[in-house]
Amino acid sequence: MTQAISLTVNGRSYELAVPPDTPLLTVLRNDLELNGPKYGCGLGECGACSVLIDGMAARACVLPVSVAVGHEILTLEGLASEGRLDPVQRAFIEAQAAQCGYCLNGMIISVRALLNHTPRPSSAQLRAALEYNLCRCGTHVEILEAASRAVAINAAESPEAPHE
Amino acid sequence: MSDRQPPTSRAEPTELPAPLASPKRFGVAVRPPHYAWNGEHFVSDRLVAVDRASVAGLPGRIEVVIEGDFVGVVADSLDAAQNAARRLRLEWRAPSHAGQGDHDQVPLETGARSRELAAGHGEAASAHRHDYGWPSRLRWGDAPGWVVADCSDQRLMLWGETITPEALIHDLMTLTGLPAERIELYGTTPARVSGLGRHCGDDAAVDAAVMSRQLGCSVAVWLDATYTRDVHALGQAQRITLSADLAESGDIADYRYHQAHASGDIAAVGLWLCGRPPIRRTEASGTPPFAPYAFSNVQLATRRDDHGAGRHSESLAEIQQAFARESFLDEVAHESGQDPLALRLRHLDDARGVELIASVSQRARWGEALSSAASTSPDRLRGRGFAYSQLPDRHQRIPEGVRSAWIADVEVNRITGDVTLTRLVVGQDAGPEVDTDRLQQTLQARVLGSARPLLGRDPAFDEWGDGSKDDKNVDPTPGGVLVTRTDMPTKESADAEATTSLLQPLDDVNLAPGVAVIANALFDATGVRFRQPPFTAGRVRQALHDQADSLQEETPGRPTKRPGRRWLKAAALTAVAGTAVMAWPWKGAITPINRPAANLYSAETIERGRLVAAAGDCAACHTAEGGQENAGGRAFDTPFGTLYSTNLTPDEETGMGRWSYAAFERAMRHGISRDGKHLYPAFPYTAFAKISDADMQALYAYLMAQPAVSAETPANALSFPFNFRPLMAGWNALYHDPNPFEPDPGQSDLYNRGAYLAEGLGHCSACHSPRNAMGAEQRGEHSLAGAMVDGWEAPPLNRLSRSPIPWSETSLYDYLRHGASSLHGVASGPMAPVVAGLGELPEYDVRALAHYVAVQMDAPAGDSETVRADAAVRIATAQSGPAGMEEGERLFEGACASCHMESGTPSFTSAQTSLALNTNLHSQHPDNVIQSILGGVHADHVPGLGNMPGFADSFSDSQVVTLTAYLRARFAPDQAPWRNIESRVTTIRQHNNSPSPHP
Repeated sequence: MTQAISLTVNGRSYELAVPPDTPLLTVLRNDLELNGPKYGCGLGECGACSVLIDGMAARACVLPVSVAVGHEILTLEGLASEGRLDPVQRAFIEAQAAQCGYCLNGMIISVRALLNHTPRPSSAQLRAALEYNLCRCGTHVEILEAASRAVAINAAESPEAPHE
Repeated sequence: MSDRQPPTSRAEPTELPAPLASPKRFGVAVRPPHYAWNGEHFVSDRLVAVDRASVAGLPGRIEVVIEGDFVGVVADSLDAAQNAARRLRLEWRAPSHAGQGDHDQVPLETGARSRELAAGHGEAASAHRHDYGWPSRLRWGDAPGWVVADCSDQRLMLWGETITPEALIHDLMTLTGLPAERIELYGTTPARVSGLGRHCGDDAAVDAAVMSRQLGCSVAVWLDATYTRDVHALGQAQRITLSADLAESGDIADYRYHQAHASGDIAAVGLWLCGRPPIRRTEASGTPPFAPYAFSNVQLATRRDDHGAGRHSESLAEIQQAFARESFLDEVAHESGQDPLALRLRHLDDARGVELIASVSQRARWGEALSSAASTSPDRLRGRGFAYSQLPDRHQRIPEGVRSAWIADVEVNRITGDVTLTRLVVGQDAGPEVDTDRLQQTLQARVLGSARPLLGRDPAFDEWGDGSKDDKNVDPTPGGVLVTRTDMPTKESADAEATTSLLQPLDDVNLAPGVAVIANALFDATGVRFRQPPFTAGRVRQALHDQADSLQEETPGRPTKRPGRRWLKAAALTAVAGTAVMAWPWKGAITPINRPAANLYSAETIERGRLVAAAGDCAACHTAEGGQENAGGRAFDTPFGTLYSTNLTPDEETGMGRWSYAAFERAMRHGISRDGKHLYPAFPYTAFAKISDADMQALYAYLMAQPAVSAETPANALSFPFNFRPLMAGWNALYHDPNPFEPDPGQSDLYNRGAYLAEGLGHCSACHSPRNAMGAEQRGEHSLAGAMVDGWEAPPLNRLSRSPIPWSETSLYDYLRHGASSLHGVASGPMAPVVAGLGELPEYDVRALAHYVAVQMDAPAGDSETVRADAAVRIATAQSGPAGMEEGERLFEGACASCHMESGTPSFTSAQTSLALNTNLHSQHPDNVIQSILGGVHADHVPGLGNMPGFADSFSDSQVVTLTAYLRARFAPDQAPWRNIESRVTTIRQHNNSPSPHP
């Protein structure tokens, strides 16, 4: 049974008619054609589908779209601002942290979520934040390096943030 | 209940003294098991012993106040005080002079039989004779409220509602020995003063004063339905017997008036209990009734004040007398087939009076039929009444007194019992020089004031809020009354005129006919005679109900007393054995009707029905997966076979379209279908029998107003002998109690409302009580002890709860209202739609449910620091997994940990409550854990709650077994490992995979 749903994604409002228990990921990819978030396991295990909701990481494949109503959804497509990529995106490009790249959306979103909450994370905190994001190619070393670089760039560009 | 605010937050008076504005202590008065005013004396149990140790272990500061037989419990919050009051152990002894016999009380309505009058009135029985009563206490209004007292430094300040300030001050002087000028009363809204007598706000005020006086600090008392006990205990303040004989002409030939008590008000209960009987007043009282009519052969008898009940109040006496006389004349007129107005006119030889009545009758179009516009709604009854009086003017300005003629139109909702005063025409003749504007103003204010205590709502256990907001819960704004006196500084800008008229209610204005006119209109509307005020919704409803009963004895579906229960039991056992089934009387079919028109019931009745349906969660069972709401067809696996729910929509062929109300009610209360077949108790009629009549009718109205859906119900597939429906007759005799819900008068209204919802509509026990081998819910200590239903475990809701963190009333409320509690987790499985249904209910109802369940669990009001610390320890302990369960650990890390373990970064989709606090993992049964792993957790209908995906398709049975054992070991390390996981996984998978019979 479809239902009228209003979503705010990347700063834009959308009016949709979908069954309220449709996973948010399906709506983002199929209805809004935002293919940054990927469909991986479909069970919330791998993190490929991650998006930001109110600045927090969220696994879009297990989230009914009705629950996201009234919240700010940000996908990979919405991370860049004023034509400039997010520091985390730039760090991942600079570190060339991709093999197949399927997991990278989730990695970038998870690091972004961590920095939103903890602007100066330790490397242990970085590892914990990425613990439940799976990568099948074994690119973990590069990914962690990119993440550290992201922390550095982020710190340089937001000097007003307090040191921990 | 944490949002109960002391009066500070909304009290309008700007200069409330500090102790009243922010009371720090909250008191609850504990009344003796038995106490009563019997018309002559106050009789109560005597307090023998107080076990203070029984409340010593409770958190916070608890004080027990004892004075004579008065017991009060004072604590830091109302909840704490109520909790302590419940636990305080007291020993009472019945009074030695008890058993004075039932005091002769006037029957409250209908069917008053003639009874012998008191001595001196024993002559030949008159043709017309009736008794009229007046209660010692009125209800205080529609909403509960605060009463705060501060008694220190030789003065007493009191904030609350009273409509009888003089009587209250008199009581407080008696209690404290203070002079009147050292007692200050605060409150608001003078317009509501009724002059109809004391209400139980005065009792609450004295309770607060007693406790405050002993502790020397301000004490707030919550005035709610618990004070209706005082209303009942104090009984009648006045009883008037009137009799008359008629001459051939229809004129009243003999008129006799007998008043049983002196007029006076009964002192507050707290005062009696403290052993401070009110001071006797010696001044003469017992006003001889002032009747405007000229009857031949009049005999009047009133009683002088000789028992010291209290003080005398002249205006109240006049209202009481006018109520009795004008009701009586109305009855005589009806009994002798005369027009009530004409009967009065023929006994009135006062030209101005006749003129006044004529003008009022013309204005109100007396004699014309009431407009039939409202008759489209069969739940509306309309009626019109008349009353007249003439009273002496106390200021001697108008020698012949004030004449007053009233005509009232009322509308009665037959289902809810609500009485609406739709029109009132009042003619008042106060002599040649009248300030009409002022008179009208005062009349309006006073009339509205009188109507409220007369017609207000009772705090009924089946009363519904409007569903929009927290409407019933606690409006600390005084709904009441300005209490002030002309000789003390007024604490707010009340207009001086209103203040004056408050104390001289008959100054220019004659309100005496106001009560009788409503009683007479009610009789006209309903045929029920109310011989004692008030006419609250609950009493009207009860009266209409009794009337219906006496009109149609033997209505099928009406629960009757079952004599010879022992015999029934024996016969029922035979029936179960399958031999003597036919000995059981067949239940007949109830004739089908044409479907009632959709607009038959009023919108408010249908709305009430919608709430009833939501509380009963009809749709949860009567809607098939993906099917139309309430069209039935959902399958239920029971140990006896598969059952299908039926179509509740008003479709005439496949639904209930041709069910009369009688058929519906019989099904709901007795489990017998319209065609006479027995229904199976998977349909919880055992609980629905407890639904009140008003709710039942509203539910019928609601269901009949919904769109009809044609949907045939699949045939049940039950194994022999359970497919033989008449067996259910024996089952019912053994296990079904069809009596309606009875509130427990010793409990609060919140508790009773919760009990009504939980035991009746909510049918909690249908899932949460274990059933015996015959599928009947077990009672007593097994009630709500937890059970297995449809592949899920419904955990215990009593002291057997195995929740790792004990439930509190606050947690229960969060869970029922929001579907999640931070210390327990989310509602899932079959409980998720229940929470979704509760979302429709008003705030107060969900609070009531939480309160009732909390009492069953013996749960505290809130979560203490100790409990929160315990939760933190449990979560910390479960940070790492147990050794030697590597495969389980791998499964958990891969599939579960991303949402169920903290990663240090806040996540929108992870579980909010640690598995270490999960009740299911601490249960004796692994079923709910297995169900959640296989099918996930879905709370789509509860706003704001997420989902857990099911892993039925990605885990093998052995992986589910390994994971379940691992979860138990890691998150419930204090519980023994489950032994039967393997077989439960197999069974549950089979159960869930059995093909759905629906397209």
